[in-house]
Amino acid sequence: MDAGLSLSSHGAASLLHATPSGLIDTRSQYQHVFDIYVPIAIGVFALFVLATLLAVIIYRRRPPERAARWYEHDRLEAGYALLLSCVVAFLLYITLTAEHRVDTVSARERPQLVVNVTGSKWEWHFNYPAYGIDLYTGTVGHQDLVVPTGETVRFRLASLDVIHAFWVPQLRYKHDLIPGSIQNSTLTFSRSGLFAGQCAEFCGLFHSTMVFNVRALSAAEFTAWAQRQQATGGAGA
Amino acid sequence: MRGGAIPVLAWACLLAVLMTGNAVWTGDAIQIGEYGFAVLTIVLVAAALVRADRTAIRRGAPEAPSRPRVEASPDLSFAAVLAAIALASILFGLTWAYFLVYFGAGLLIMSLGRLALELQAARASRERFERGSPPERPERERLP
Amino acid sequence: MSATAPSVSTVSRASGLFGAAASTDHKRIGLNMGLASLLFFLGAGVMALLMRTQLAQPHVRFVSDQTYNELFTMHGSTMIFLFVTPMAMALATYLVPLQIGASSISAPRLALSAFWIWLSGGIIMQLGWLTEEGAGRSGWFAYVPLSNSANTPGVGQDLWTVGVILAAGGLTIIGGCVLATIARRRAPGMSMMRMPVFTWTGLVSVLMVVGSFPVVILAMSLLYAERLGARVFIGYSGAIDYQDLFWFFGHPVVYVMFFPFLGAAAEAIAVNAHKRWFGYAAFVASMLAFAALSMSVWSHHMFTTGGVTNQYFATTSTALAVPAGIEYFDMVATLIGGAILLRTSMLFALGFFLQFLIGGLSGIFVASPVLDYHAEDSYIVVGHFHYTLFAGSVFGFFAGVYHWFPKVTGARLREGLGKLHFVLLLVGTNMTFLPMFFLGNDGMPRRIAEYPNHPGWGTLNLLETVGAGVIALGVLAFLVNVVVSLRNREVAGEDPWLGHTLEWATSSPPPRHNFERPLPPITSYAPLLDLRERAQRDASAVRVPAGRGGRGPWPQEGAP
Repeated sequence: MDAGLSLSSHGAASLLHATPSGLIDTRSQYQHVFDIYVPIAIGVFALFVLATLLAVIIYRRRPPERAARWYEHDRLEAGYALLLSCVVAFLLYITLTAEHRVDTVSARERPQLVVNVTGSKWEWHFNYPAYGIDLYTGTVGHQDLVVPTGETVRFRLASLDVIHAFWVPQLRYKHDLIPGSIQNSTLTFSRSGLFAGQCAEFCGLFHSTMVFNVRALSAAEFTAWAQRQQATGGAGA
Repeated sequence: MRGGAIPVLAWACLLAVLMTGNAVWTGDAIQIGEYGFAVLTIVLVAAALVRADRTAIRRGAPEAPSRPRVEASPDLSFAAVLAAIALASILFGLTWAYFLVYFGAGLLIMSLGRLALELQAARASRERFERGSPPERPERERLP
Repeated sequence: MSATAPSVSTVSRASGLFGAAASTDHKRIGLNMGLASLLFFLGAGVMALLMRTQLAQPHVRFVSDQTYNELFTMHGSTMIFLFVTPMAMALATYLVPLQIGASSISAPRLALSAFWIWLSGGIIMQLGWLTEEGAGRSGWFAYVPLSNSANTPGVGQDLWTVGVILAAGGLTIIGGCVLATIARRRAPGMSMMRMPVFTWTGLVSVLMVVGSFPVVILAMSLLYAERLGARVFIGYSGAIDYQDLFWFFGHPVVYVMFFPFLGAAAEAIAVNAHKRWFGYAAFVASMLAFAALSMSVWSHHMFTTGGVTNQYFATTSTALAVPAGIEYFDMVATLIGGAILLRTSMLFALGFFLQFLIGGLSGIFVASPVLDYHAEDSYIVVGHFHYTLFAGSVFGFFAGVYHWFPKVTGARLREGLGKLHFVLLLVGTNMTFLPMFFLGNDGMPRRIAEYPNHPGWGTLNLLETVGAGVIALGVLAFLVNVVVSLRNREVAGEDPWLGHTLEWATSSPPPRHNFERPLPPITSYAPLLDLRERAQRDASAVRVPAGRGGRGPWPQEGAP
């Protein structure tokens, strides 16, 4: 289903590059869970606001002697707890299956592209080992992270100093960059365009300036861009 | 007192169940260690309560004791305040000015001396009360 | 053993400042802690206003990045270590002995010491503002390696670390005193299952304090050693271990900051509805489960680290909906059939429950790893925890203030000013914190001193800044109310609201040893309501009109 969703949104170019197992699109996974959680939350909130307001309006300003004397109904509460447990079980089913797809299934996919992302106080370094391309944002320059759409991209996240987090709101996904480790995030961009990205974990003085842009190109454009980069030695970014 | 240790123990059991779940599911040593610390602490609290009074583990409401228990309760304790400030100045001294460590250590000794005086006074007035003579400065020697 | 243990004063009672500072009376200690934390609250509020000024529009340079980082670190640390948690403990210290009919707190010297240890910690933490490098500035959870001496040099961060050790230490000790009081000093007849709702919330809170706060003292001591040059938290596993240690305290503390205010709001609702709290046994069971579960969710703060088992923590975090749902069920069921008076305390209590619901439901949202991968460290999370802590706990705190102010001072707060206070706070709170969900979902990270001019961000942030100003006005109305009510006193009497619990069966303020008359018979968790109901049934009721003062309506002699 997820593969279908992401494929339908970006046409034939990516069809050629899609892996047989299908792509896990974090954005549609988020939306899938969001669309179940948020209406339930709004419904529960509305229900309690309504019940509270009604109770207050109906039982206002009566003499204290008229207050009801009942104060217990264990069976009713047990039933209510059971109902809540069912809701919790349902939410967990939705969440854990989506989490499985985002974390486990996507990690099993063979990526079309690997990008080494290195964070350091307050810069990003994107390295494309297959192409020998290095891009920098921060004091060194303001180059965009360029990715192909409709392909699995594996980001290998590392940090040189403190904890940073690689967040692309468009993908509804972030992951921490923790010094001393390389973390893998396997992501798919389903739409082309220019998106904002930033460090999400507070990392010291100029945390707010640790931003970058993601430029998602169609697979063909991406290949052309990569060849141009290799030819000019990165000058044409 | 009656019942006091029961919810403490019950809570420790709930925590132990969750700890088992965590151990099975994650097997993460530090997480099991943290849970273990919490469970152990709560069990020790329950044990201390039972040790102080066997009835703590029995259900029911506390009963009025047949003979009134006499307890000397201080109105003021400079010892407690001094000890707290001593501790704070030792730690503050570590970060900022080393001489405060010595100052704090001095205060701590003073507060211990003061505590000894306070406890002595408490014992004396409890004994006086039990002998039936009024305390030196009668405040509220008889409460209902 | 209040009513049966005569107490002897062993040290002369000093009056004035020394008497107030060194008193071992649990009411004095609780009041001192409450007043000191209220001052810290005002300070943290000023920090919030400075931050909101900076964030009013994109690219405002009102304070430097460095100052901004100090502001959000100290705002969070002050609110958590120096206002909400100690206020929860202060309420418990003041009220629990009264509610269980005890004459004093267990280990009063330790409790007094705890107050001063906590206060010293708070002052030491704030002294960072005076240092050259500024106050603590690596966030209230001070992740390593950011918080080590290489990445955050300076005495200010050292002072922050030591301040947290002392503050958490003091809170642990006073929590232990409250726990011992509940276990050992209940009056004859006060079984565990007859303890008032607030006392139960206090009990589960101090159980959590005792089980989890020592861990943060350990974490901070290790961090301090690290800052002195020891290599404690090394590499990836060091970073994860620190987070595990910190959040093992850092999540339970969130519930320590919630439960006592839940108890306060529940008492206010029951009394103002003239009906006892619904479903007591289920409530007690759900509180125990709630507390145990909330000790088991801490790593949901670490979903994006790749270092914890997300499924376990997603499961426990989502399961919190069950005990929380029971509490809401009980709240509504208490209202139904009641005789409801919308006093200010009632308004704040209802505000607490309904607004906290937004915090709670958004908590279920961020408990889902898939959603949290986006929400973590964004303004969604900022909105979420401000709805729990400000729209929740602070409203519950004010419900408690309006409810118990007459007991503590003998005077009532003004209802008119109180309602103004409530309306301003309600409007300001939602203006400030609701837009955060939209900003966060749109990609605004927390803890940034400056934000880009994305469409809509400037408007929503301006709305939040105006809302913060309205909150400030609301707090001002509260302070005016306190001053006016104390200057020109409306005498409350000992039971102005037809209370349910034992603290309303003694004078206002209560005497040094709490009860000078025999306690009424303790027949349930609402003994005074029992008496009134019995009297009504016997058709020999001494009618006390609601809202009028006077002695408790129970038969004074020969109680059945």
